[in-house]
Amino acid sequence: MKFSWFHLMPYPDLPEDFRDRHRSVWVDAPARALYDPARGVRLYRDYLDELEHADAVGFDGVCVNEHHASAYGLMPSPNLMAAALARGTTRAKLVVLGDSVALYDPPVRVAEELAMLDVLSGGRVVAGFPVGLPMDAAFAMGVNPVTLREKHREGVELVLRAWSAREPFAFNGRFTQLRYVNPWPRPLQDPRPPVWIPGGSSPETWDYCAANDFLYANLSYSGFRAAKSALDGYWAAVERAGKARNPYRAAFLQLFGVAESDAAAEKLYKDAVLYSYRSGLHVPPEFALPPGYLTDAGARRAAAAVAPTATMSWEELKAGGHAVVGSPDTVVAAIEELAATLGVGHLLALLHFGTLSKEATFANTELFAREVMPRVRGLFKDHEDAWWPKEPGR
Amino acid sequence: MSALVRETVRLAGGREQAVLRGGRGPVLVWLHGLGGVTPDDPAALALAERWSVVAPVAPGFDRDEDAADLRGVHDLALRADDLFEALGLEGALVAGHSFGAMLAAELAAHAPRRVARLLLVSPLGWWRDDEPAADFFAVPPGSDASPYRRTPPEAVERARRAVARVLWPLPDKGLRRRLYRVRARSVVLSGDRDPFVPASYARDLAAGLGGAPCVVEAGAGHDLPYERPDAVAAALDALRAA
Repeated sequence: MKFSWFHLMPYPDLPEDFRDRHRSVWVDAPARALYDPARGVRLYRDYLDELEHADAVGFDGVCVNEHHASAYGLMPSPNLMAAALARGTTRAKLVVLGDSVALYDPPVRVAEELAMLDVLSGGRVVAGFPVGLPMDAAFAMGVNPVTLREKHREGVELVLRAWSAREPFAFNGRFTQLRYVNPWPRPLQDPRPPVWIPGGSSPETWDYCAANDFLYANLSYSGFRAAKSALDGYWAAVERAGKARNPYRAAFLQLFGVAESDAAAEKLYKDAVLYSYRSGLHVPPEFALPPGYLTDAGARRAAAAVAPTATMSWEELKAGGHAVVGSPDTVVAAIEELAATLGVGHLLALLHFGTLSKEATFANTELFAREVMPRVRGLFKDHEDAWWPKEPGR
Repeated sequence: MSALVRETVRLAGGREQAVLRGGRGPVLVWLHGLGGVTPDDPAALALAERWSVVAPVAPGFDRDEDAADLRGVHDLALRADDLFEALGLEGALVAGHSFGAMLAAELAAHAPRRVARLLLVSPLGWWRDDEPAADFFAVPPGSDASPYRRTPPEAVERARRAVARVLWPLPDKGLRRRLYRVRARSVVLSGDRDPFVPASYARDLAAGLGGAPCVVEAGAGHDLPYERPDAVAAALDALRAA
């Protein structure tokens, strides 16, 4: 099993009455009223320190991601953060999870910047291509949700062709027309960085990943117990595509809080977990479900599933496996259950969440690396990982 | 009034479009709003008391695939022109509500000979930076401001998609630049409680239509044809008499 350290970079200082006064943490939570730029300086410094620390203590990868107009994640440009990490880390792979290609016009920009990162980092880049959450893509960035998926697919096709083409070429797409596609530099990895597709429970995404040998990363926040149906769906798609069921075709994001005992862990992490869910996922249905983002059936399922997550109790969050918080034994047991039920070889560990301080995050990271990782690292050791950079790094 | 009757019209290019018909009197083309139109739509039935109503179902409101190749407002206007051609309509009396009013104005700008008289009720299609309208794509489901309160639940998402396909993220698609082409005698009717079409938008639009009369109904919201059918009837009478 491989372990990547995933940072959301949330804004931790939303007021107590935030949920009562604002309908959403995304899109229209007013930055001028709620965000303190001086605080932002300290947050970026601490958050990059935490990612660099993960590299130092032995995580296989560090993850950055893209969100817009949101106190949920202060990373509108994952590539900027990855550029800082390309210099601040030496060994961990840079899992950019990812660049929302439909939000870049033209998407060749993604081919260029990821290639720059790959060169800067000595070939350590994983190229993630999310469709983009509706709050980010449709509302904050104005992309038409009805054609967003089509635009995403076309953009991914363009990026991959830009990396693999032997000659400059013309691209006559519906969303992008370019007479000349010929990005410099090329990525160091040959033929290209591994491609990861973050997604939820859409069968089209599972088939798309399986058919193209892209890794499917489930970033649901709905708890690893509820994620089984999504991973089952994905593995069925892999089988339909006639591909081998290799655990390294899949990744799963999980929140962890580790301490010497279960009781100590609860004391340390409970408030930060609750902030993360209550404020970080405070999104009304009108922003979560714009027209055409999901199929009619998908929209009904999502409408039923989205709202409760933000109001779940501590006990519910623990029982559903949303938050795995406890002693190393407790956490190891949960990872073994997760590995057995989901069959994923890549674990994306969320070890900073909500209001957690830098000191507490370092401690959580160190305990996880020292007391948890060695005991579960051997899981899936007999499988080849073709979804991971092969270059040794800078 | 008995329910409208549904028929399928074949368009040039091999497409089809559903049209609802009913009533008696001179022909009135009625272009529905964000929520769509059904055979028992109260606003359309009120019109059918005095008019032979022809109410097309806009592309995508019935079936997504009908709208799949609509990439913008020009495609939408040309599709309306195709329908008018198939129905043999020239110099018509056209009234539209909300999304339908925008479509009516676009048709009159793209194909001026199709429309001789034009009633725009709560028309989308305008924008002012100094008075930003509310976002009709982000109305909480079930709220009083929802334009889908009269839409059958199973048709709501399809209706939202059909409009978003062309109007996302806000409805100013350049109508202002094309208004000079409209030759129809026009009236604009709007409510002063409409969150999506502030009264200033209605007045701007009327001014852009060569100083067309603009009637702002006190207390009326975006669903004016359902709230104030008499105001719509009066505006049509005025337009016909003019």
